[in-house]
Amino acid sequence: MAITRRQFLQRTGLGAGGLLLAPNLFGNPFVREALANIGSRYLVVFYLDGGNDGQNTIVPYDDVGGLRSAYNQHRKTGNGGLQLAPGSLLVPSGPGVPPMVDPNTGTQLGFHPGLAGLHNLYLEGKVAVVQGCGYPDYSLSHEASTIIWQTANPTGNGALAGTGWVGRHLGAVYGPSQVPGVAIGSAVPGEFRQSATSVLTLRRVRTFGFPYDDLDEAESDESAKRDAFAGAYAAAAASANPRLAFLGTAGTSTLLSSESYPPLFDVYTDARQSWFDDYSALGTTTGRAFREMAQLVYGVHTGQPGVAARFLQGRQGGYDTHADQGAGTPGARQYDLLREFGDAVELFYRDMEDIGIADDVCIVVWSEFSRRIPQNDNGTDHGSQGPMFVIGGSVAGGVYGNHPNIASAALDDQGNTPYSQAPGDPFRSTDFRDVFGTILKHWLALSPATITSSILPPDVGNPATYWTVPNFDLGFLP
Amino acid sequence: MGDQNTLLTTAEVRHLLRRAGLGPTPREVERLEGLTRGQAADQLLLLKPKAFRPGGRDFQKAHDKWLKFLVKGKRPVQCRLALFWHDHFAVNFSTVQDVTQMALYVRLLHVHALGNFKTFVKAVNKDPAMMVFLDTVKNRKAIPNENYARELLELFTLGVTDLLGAPNYTQDDIVQIARAFTGWRVNSSNVAELDASRHDFQSDFPERGPKVIFRTTGGFGPAGRDLTVNGEGEPEIDAVVDAIFDHTDSAGHNTVARRTTHRLLQFLCHDDPPLAVVDELIATASFATTWDLKALVRAILVHDIFYETAAPAPFGAATKKSVKWPVDFVVSTMRLLGLKVKGRPAWIPGGTYSSLRDHLENMGQVLMQPPSVFGWDWETAWLSSGTLLARYTFARDIAAMRWDNPTFRPDLLMDLTLTDPDDIVAAVLGVLAIDDQVDAADRRRLVDYLTDYGATTSLDLGDWTVRNVKLHGLFALAMQLPAYQLH
Repeated sequence: MAITRRQFLQRTGLGAGGLLLAPNLFGNPFVREALANIGSRYLVVFYLDGGNDGQNTIVPYDDVGGLRSAYNQHRKTGNGGLQLAPGSLLVPSGPGVPPMVDPNTGTQLGFHPGLAGLHNLYLEGKVAVVQGCGYPDYSLSHEASTIIWQTANPTGNGALAGTGWVGRHLGAVYGPSQVPGVAIGSAVPGEFRQSATSVLTLRRVRTFGFPYDDLDEAESDESAKRDAFAGAYAAAAASANPRLAFLGTAGTSTLLSSESYPPLFDVYTDARQSWFDDYSALGTTTGRAFREMAQLVYGVHTGQPGVAARFLQGRQGGYDTHADQGAGTPGARQYDLLREFGDAVELFYRDMEDIGIADDVCIVVWSEFSRRIPQNDNGTDHGSQGPMFVIGGSVAGGVYGNHPNIASAALDDQGNTPYSQAPGDPFRSTDFRDVFGTILKHWLALSPATITSSILPPDVGNPATYWTVPNFDLGFLP
Repeated sequence: MGDQNTLLTTAEVRHLLRRAGLGPTPREVERLEGLTRGQAADQLLLLKPKAFRPGGRDFQKAHDKWLKFLVKGKRPVQCRLALFWHDHFAVNFSTVQDVTQMALYVRLLHVHALGNFKTFVKAVNKDPAMMVFLDTVKNRKAIPNENYARELLELFTLGVTDLLGAPNYTQDDIVQIARAFTGWRVNSSNVAELDASRHDFQSDFPERGPKVIFRTTGGFGPAGRDLTVNGEGEPEIDAVVDAIFDHTDSAGHNTVARRTTHRLLQFLCHDDPPLAVVDELIATASFATTWDLKALVRAILVHDIFYETAAPAPFGAATKKSVKWPVDFVVSTMRLLGLKVKGRPAWIPGGTYSSLRDHLENMGQVLMQPPSVFGWDWETAWLSSGTLLARYTFARDIAAMRWDNPTFRPDLLMDLTLTDPDDIVAAVLGVLAIDDQVDAADRRRLVDYLTDYGATTSLDLGDWTVRNVKLHGLFALAMQLPAYQLH
């Protein structure tokens, strides 16, 4: 987390100060852009960890373009079979519902039966399904591919190493004593990583306080302890030793945040106890993650002192379904995972809607890769491109990007759908950076010049393969 | 420049026990003081490894047993390397869900921690917990499952690329290795065995091509390496390991030897070790031919690169300080303060009642529960606001154990007749073995805390309130200092 350098020396008394920009930052064009445009919005990044099987997430319902018969060839029925019958899919339809049709083949698509929550939001036009998201020369390593997505750096550009795509934005516009981002968990997620501003991690808002000794009031020496602690960490933050400096800034922002964040629990539950209980009633880690995010958003929305985080991150693990993936019934591994995700995200959306800020919340959902279309015994091995979701009140719901070509003849020698950027290719893939870039341009209102110069530089290489001329206008955000 | 005949300073002895052991307890420091680097390394490595196995009916019990074993710390280097291998060959209970298999896996880590690395990897192939964790037990001939094959190459041995950045293997290598591992299962006595009817024999699937790997990498030439050289079926998985251990990188050096040595150096002393030192250590230990981990560790423990980081505070820009793993933080604290793991579950009273496992979980590391096959992220990845608060909480809870059993007893650790605040601070830092790691400014802050900025010049530690508020508070603060998070 955190990397504050020397500024902390003067700022350890900041406490409830919240936004406090160093004067020189006001001259920074990125800062002006951000302050003008981030406004009252929130960006939530949510990670399906392990490689969600996109082939069984957004599934061909009819055989208009031949995708369904190709799907049936690869995904088996019977014991260990993963095939989702057309009748089991959740197929959005009805007046005013965005068509859920593959733009290329015209195939009617449906959601995995576990994604009832997402299906409900899709019916209201609040979900963009972005198909075929990937990158050139895809990696099948969890670690390598996760880093590629988080850093948005498939080609190993040294200038981008070690910083996340959101992190590069945060680092450019926020100062070291600010906390613009919060991740639910115990480690700073890769997409938020950078070394200029603090990122908070917490698991429970309520218990996120500094652990002073539990003494009688008469004996309490909290302020003396705080002074010693704050002084030691401020000094460490200024150390020439990089590891000690990192620790110093991390400890300092931890102390400050531990004083401003825990009150958000009471603020939220005083006003919204039944919502809190609804999240808890889901009984899932993903439900709890969104519950904590809701407290943060509500705290920022209601202007609580010392909290200003508008970038949030959460994750759900377990998607590495090499075995026992199952098909479309409760108890099957992928079903339970998607159900947990869909139910939690729908509740979060309803909560935001009830607060009146659903239009100010944008949730982008990604996974490090999809899985291979031919299944193994009862699961799937690592694959290439897959679908992403963008969810929010301002999202233009519908299907964007093409379904990958899953016909046997089209698969590459690894059995995977090939990634292509060739303009004439009817199955042209979606580079995931176009999705991130569309969010940066249309949600954070960054100019394409800012994005391409400092956050998502285009690749160098054959434009049929590499991502070269981004337009950041996929259309799912106005 | 030093070598194995260089005499150790007390600071270096502490460093050795911090980085290669489980924390410098006074007894251990005393035992190694006055020795040379070589003598100290030999004394630590002389201890016969114990085939430790955390038996227990449930996960909590097994976890407590392992923690108790660490806190006892009779074989510090073996224990610490077993933790390294736990991260390297990561398996988690969440996936395996079998406490007996996890115990066998932990035993394997301890048996081979300082053994022969090639034998170790071959044993990992057949470890029941690993076979479940990475789906070897589900790898059937109809459609081979690549999970274990990929991680065997990527994480356990070669790495995706060599230390110079060139790729070490291809997807086709993984496919062929996955075939070699088809048909293995774990029998009811938790022993790996091959079910030949589920094994992928070449004659069954001629369209899959010959079981040959490393045609384009590894220095084997276009002929590659045939996995059926000792026959098909059982011998194949050993043949895979033999081939991997013969693999050479883009500079013609043994790939496994370089990567393993590099990683061990990262773990023990230096997050970015120079390649020249890596190669020197491999040569010293003949590691690329003997695969003797004990010899390799000894070579590291007598080398300058290991002692460079023993420098006292204030730390310069180039001093490679490392963030203690949560389990190091907890175990070394328990040992330095003479606390025993007691009760079921092992617990620490204090501000809030909670078990040691809860503390570790909040810090981001539960034994037998690495988050994924990649193990834990090290160094600054341990440091987030949530995990730091967990460390501060642990420090607070330990120091707050005033009336419970086990009780934190400063009187057993230091002289309570001390009255000078500077002496008291020095004594507390001495107990925590960080008196050379805390600079003058931080000492001043601790003294200011103790004296309320000079309001008092002398403290009576015999006074119940002074002792319980200020001395216990000083211990908590000292354990919360930046210096105590690093080693």
